Amino acid sequence: MTDGMNRRGFLKVLGATGGGAVALSGCSSENAERLIPYLVPPENQIPGTATYYATTCRECSAGCGLHVKVREGRAIKLEGNPGSAVNAGKLCAIGQAGLQGLYNPDRVTAPMKKGADGQFAEISWEDAVGEIVGRLGAEAGERIAFLSGNEAGTFDALVKEWLAAHGSSRHVVYETMGYEALRAANQQLFGIDSLPTYDFSEARFVISFGADFLETYLSPVQNTRGFSEAHSFNHGEMGRYVHVDPRMGQSAIQADEWIAPNPGSEGAVALAMAHVILRDGTGNTPRDVNRVRPLIEGMTPEAAEQASGVSAEVIERLAREFTAHRSVALGGGMGAQHDAADSTAIAVMLLNYVAGNLGETVKFKLDAPAAAGSYADLMALAGSMNDGNVGVLFVHGTNPVYNQSGFGSAMANAGLKVSFSSYMDETANECDLVLPDNHPLEQWNDFRPASGGYLLQQPVMQTVFDTRQTGDVLLTLATATGNNGGGLAAANYKEYLRAEWRNIQRTVRDRQGFEVFWNSSLQHGGVVQDAGDTQVRLANSAAQAQISTWVPSGDGLTFIAYPSPTMGDGRGANKPWLQELPDPISKITWGSWLEVSPATAEELGVVSGDLVYVSSSTYRWEGDKLPVFVYPGIRDGVVAMPMGQGHEAYGRYAANGTANATNFLADGPTGFGGRSHYNTVTVEFSGGEHETLAQTMGRNRQMGRGIAQFTTLAALIDGHGEEEHGAEHAAPVPEHIEEIIDEWQEAQWDDFRDKGNYAGEHPRWAMSVDLAKCTGCNACVTACYAENNLPTVGKEQVQRGREMSWIRIERYFEGGEHGEPHEISLLPMMCQQCTNAPCEPVCPVFAAYHTPDGLNGQIYNRCVGTRYCANNCPYKVRYFNYFDHQKQGDPVFSFPEPLNWQLNPDVTVRSKGVMEKCTFCVQRIRGAQHDASTDGRDLIDGDIQTACQQTCPADAIVFGDLNDPNSRVSQLSNDERAYHVLGGLNTKPGVTYLKQVRNRAEA
Amino acid sequence: MATSVQTERTEPNTYATITRDVFNTIGNPGRGYYVLLGIVLCGLAIGGFSLLWQIRWGLGVAGYTPPVFWGVYITTFVFWVGIAHSGTLISAILFLFRSAWRTAVYRTAEAMTVFAVMTAGLFPLIHVGRLWYAYWLIPYPNQRQLWVNFKSPLVWDLFAISTYLTVSTTFLIVGLIPDIASFRDKATGWRKKLYSITSLGWRGTDQQWRHYTRAYLYLAALATPLVLSVHSVVSWDFAMSIVPGWHATIFAPYFVAGAIYSGVAMVITLLVPMRKIFKIEHIITVDHFENLSKLLLLTGMIVGYAYFVEYFIAWYSGNPFERASFWNRAFGEYWWATWTMILCNGALPWLLWYKKLRRSIPMLFVLSLFVNLGMWFERFVIIVVSLSFEYSPAAMGHYTPTWVEWGIMLGSFAWFFMWLLLFAKNFPMVSIAEVKEIIPLPRKKEVHQ
Repeated sequence: MTDGMNRRGFLKVLGATGGGAVALSGCSSENAERLIPYLVPPENQIPGTATYYATTCRECSAGCGLHVKVREGRAIKLEGNPGSAVNAGKLCAIGQAGLQGLYNPDRVTAPMKKGADGQFAEISWEDAVGEIVGRLGAEAGERIAFLSGNEAGTFDALVKEWLAAHGSSRHVVYETMGYEALRAANQQLFGIDSLPTYDFSEARFVISFGADFLETYLSPVQNTRGFSEAHSFNHGEMGRYVHVDPRMGQSAIQADEWIAPNPGSEGAVALAMAHVILRDGTGNTPRDVNRVRPLIEGMTPEAAEQASGVSAEVIERLAREFTAHRSVALGGGMGAQHDAADSTAIAVMLLNYVAGNLGETVKFKLDAPAAAGSYADLMALAGSMNDGNVGVLFVHGTNPVYNQSGFGSAMANAGLKVSFSSYMDETANECDLVLPDNHPLEQWNDFRPASGGYLLQQPVMQTVFDTRQTGDVLLTLATATGNNGGGLAAANYKEYLRAEWRNIQRTVRDRQGFEVFWNSSLQHGGVVQDAGDTQVRLANSAAQAQISTWVPSGDGLTFIAYPSPTMGDGRGANKPWLQELPDPISKITWGSWLEVSPATAEELGVVSGDLVYVSSSTYRWEGDKLPVFVYPGIRDGVVAMPMGQGHEAYGRYAANGTANATNFLADGPTGFGGRSHYNTVTVEFSGGEHETLAQTMGRNRQMGRGIAQFTTLAALIDGHGEEEHGAEHAAPVPEHIEEIIDEWQEAQWDDFRDKGNYAGEHPRWAMSVDLAKCTGCNACVTACYAENNLPTVGKEQVQRGREMSWIRIERYFEGGEHGEPHEISLLPMMCQQCTNAPCEPVCPVFAAYHTPDGLNGQIYNRCVGTRYCANNCPYKVRYFNYFDHQKQGDPVFSFPEPLNWQLNPDVTVRSKGVMEKCTFCVQRIRGAQHDASTDGRDLIDGDIQTACQQTCPADAIVFGDLNDPNSRVSQLSNDERAYHVLGGLNTKPGVTYLKQVRNRAEA
Repeated sequence: MATSVQTERTEPNTYATITRDVFNTIGNPGRGYYVLLGIVLCGLAIGGFSLLWQIRWGLGVAGYTPPVFWGVYITTFVFWVGIAHSGTLISAILFLFRSAWRTAVYRTAEAMTVFAVMTAGLFPLIHVGRLWYAYWLIPYPNQRQLWVNFKSPLVWDLFAISTYLTVSTTFLIVGLIPDIASFRDKATGWRKKLYSITSLGWRGTDQQWRHYTRAYLYLAALATPLVLSVHSVVSWDFAMSIVPGWHATIFAPYFVAGAIYSGVAMVITLLVPMRKIFKIEHIITVDHFENLSKLLLLTGMIVGYAYFVEYFIAWYSGNPFERASFWNRAFGEYWWATWTMILCNGALPWLLWYKKLRRSIPMLFVLSLFVNLGMWFERFVIIVVSLSFEYSPAAMGHYTPTWVEWGIMLGSFAWFFMWLLLFAKNFPMVSIAEVKEIIPLPRKKEVHQ
């Protein structure tokens, strides 16, 4: 610097090159982003710090509480509200995916009007309201109908009041999953039209007659929580669960015993069990049982054997087990709703009744709203429309045309059809006006679930599009037509809601000021007080109850349309997270399939992936995309198909050209007002047509490799839990080798310490997964997609095995051959964060490296993409970015606007050509460490919750520090059931699995 | 030694005829040459387009199906590295062993080596996810203080391949100098200028010859260990991992033998048409082919033995994953690839025990094609089939390459043959100087005549 350049000269050069660099940076492929600071910062909004709002999940009728994580004004993650009585902080996959409803690219962005050419065009809200007002002037009274989904709560009240103000009482409620059979049974036996809640936690024997209670039945998260408590292995004890259904669904995976009766005959088994209990007097049977005694006594175990094919001894044994423990029996699932499903539900309720379970494990909440609406009501409305008796039809929160194609043609005969749908779905397409409602996360609203309580919803962010809350639209209409007396005079729906909540405050006997009550309710997501149970007793009508079994009409295979655990009744179909979520049983994504038993498949001459034609008496699927999935967990002669796929409209992800299961069902309501989900079909295979299933399992069986291990309760009690695990053990590592490896490990740490970066003691982050709890519900998978910005890749890429799911549920079939019972083992597989990680040494550029706290780090911007790490990973939990999923215009673009609004700003969005994998939610670890250090305290066990752990309804996942001997994870890692997957490879994983426990029947 | 070169026509080989005959191989090419070159350039264009397509959209346009994270690219990489090996064996090791018959064939083998390494070296670049950052594998000082992981076999591989390319290129060029000088003396026009520069002032003085032969010997000595080490290192890309079917101690010798086997086959494939077109059947004779086929037989037996040992150890180890992996090779979804490999590499070379077949040029040509095919499938079986059937049953998959991969593979053959064609028409494909070393010394009487 002495000669030639002085300080001044140096600065000049620096300035010039700096300027050049700035100018050049404009040429980079990525556009410069402008960061604009808030001029007036919003209150309580600290950039970079999340705000959580309590609200209620409206993806199904269960009413789970939500905590919505909002960053800089955008909702980015849904988590369960820990204070909720329904879900206690947990959430299912469908709930997690609620965000993709909010940010769905196919939402209707503004009011639309159908023109003369049948095409929809945007209009203003004023014009839209004007159109309706004009029509309402012409129509009056009962010619105005309002069709909605289950909206129990204030919205329901508003609709009724609004209709009354306009002289109508035609509020029709239709839910695809209306549980009409269950309700009909309760009406017949107890004279109440409402849905029960089940208290599993007390039960030690659970028997389900076709109720998919861990999937969609009533309140799946609540059921899973309770069931997990009842059925997980705990200090040498666990409950037993028997599932009676021709098909083994996701819930039945957990079953210790799966009994496949003749389709439609579950009721006979239940009633025969009641018969045995009554005969032997083993139950705590109420006195008034005499009203139904003839009915029960009519069904002997032998008669039941005749009807169902289940042997009388088994029925006798089940009956003994049922009363030997505190028990619960469930029935009336939608997947078992055949023509005689009310009989099943009656038989199951009677079984509960004779065992004395009513009021104990089966409860009817006093504050549960009355159930409303049925398939029969919908069909009645369709008939009325065909008769020209509907002048104005409003549709809100339901999509009947998808399930019931005849409804669409009936709608053509109605006058003005107004939809409040957020999507151009099948029903909206038939309407004249579409006035998009706000998404539940943008709404003021409330909801009353069947399990009781008053749940509040609040908007967590500004509306994404030019949408308006339907409540507000109705109030505007009332003002415009001048029928705005009473509550309808409210300035807006929020005021109307607050007025309702003044009543609710009185109902729950809260004595605080209203504002205090209101704010506290907002903060907690509503008010839940145990209002107690209805004391049910047999009604007079119980004596007239009849029991029948479903009989197939005509020849052919019995067809079952069951509710999909990922799609629900079909409303999840336009969410890519749910489309890409593998079905818990078939592990198929992006489309429907036909489940066929191996023997039936052989008869038909088909294998998995063959494309078949299915036709029922009313319908034949002419599309060519119905692949067969050969499944040992279904009775011979029965075929099944998940509901929810095969949309013709609704959006780019839903309308994917696969078959719609409900189309194969017979039209018209059953005797109990529901729709039969059973039918008779014929399956034709012309030969030759085949497709690669978009399935995420490479092999369906674990080939004796001991990946997902299990033991039996008896073996655990006897102290040799090792005995039965369905696994060949690889040779144990010799001790001297262990020593060498440990020394090497030590040297590695020393190396880190010498460099001075990581002096001191470190935690060893670890996880334990209790396979006795895991139900395979996939909630963790979707939570991971949401938390870690995982792209969805679509059907073609899944067929190539390129899904990016950092955590996957491996599903292995066991037995099912040579007369052994068919069972399923599950294993959530994520990066095992090995101590001796095979991925690390092979990376040529240190993109895969070991952190001092035991994580296998992956540095995305250092990764060159040799993929050697993935080859060397025995667990295959590394995922490669084959495309630029986040880039508009890419062949596999995953985040069309505004889906990208959901991206978690704490997690890098990866570009093409790099490897990625589970990080144990390192952003959460660092966040919690940061919070602890700002608070000046040490981290405590449980401070850090990974996204999968946080949402797991069964509480199967525990995360923590293995170096802390008192942490939950280190205690569980030393459990007698603990094992490492492929432990023989000496990878020393950070994830410890606890063996599944099967509670086999005592001989 | 001189007997091993036999004339197949009446005119005996003399210094003059050899220079003339070899010189006649260059010169203005005919239409057939341009047609060939055109085909090759079309292939190269297809390969280039496929590569650009892949760079534009990402590796997803290739057929990768996890868990098969390495596919046709790495298969073809190992194939070309293998091809490269026989060149050095013939030129360096046989030189050290004073094996005279090598003189007629080694130049072709050596040129093939250099072009094969040049082809092979492209594939690690083509196969990485972020081609534009591939230079990060080179340990160079940088202000970010980033270094490479010397534990990774991929870094070893980088060094092995680049060393091999450097040494084999140097060896080829050094060997060419005296021959280019003889061309320089006969050539006219632009070729004269080219050869004047590339012969580096060679005048054939005693002193130059003394230095030259020493240098050549040292280079041969330097190249010899590379024959063994380079493909050993390549084999460690696999053997150092824990993939069943890869993690085996036999890999280094197994790969080296396989490499020489495939390389010799490729030499035969190239020599048969070349000697015909260039009309040098009297220089590259049936004896040469018999010697090459003996080498083919030897390495083929080793390769066959290695296949047997692999299966034996898979069974003998008792390791269930290893056993399952090999069972899958033979009877799984890729059985056809495995049996192609066993047929081509394990069974067909047994034919070479028959002298008649060893001396039948058409037979050898067909056989060499089969061996080339078989050796490509060997790498495919080792890489793809092992990966498709690893530890986790949930993560087993079936890989099928796409047009992009076939396009790039086609391009790689085009690239290789382009260099070979350009070389053959401009440089001697037979070593003039060394062939002259082994023919009888010219006698005065003959000179007079």
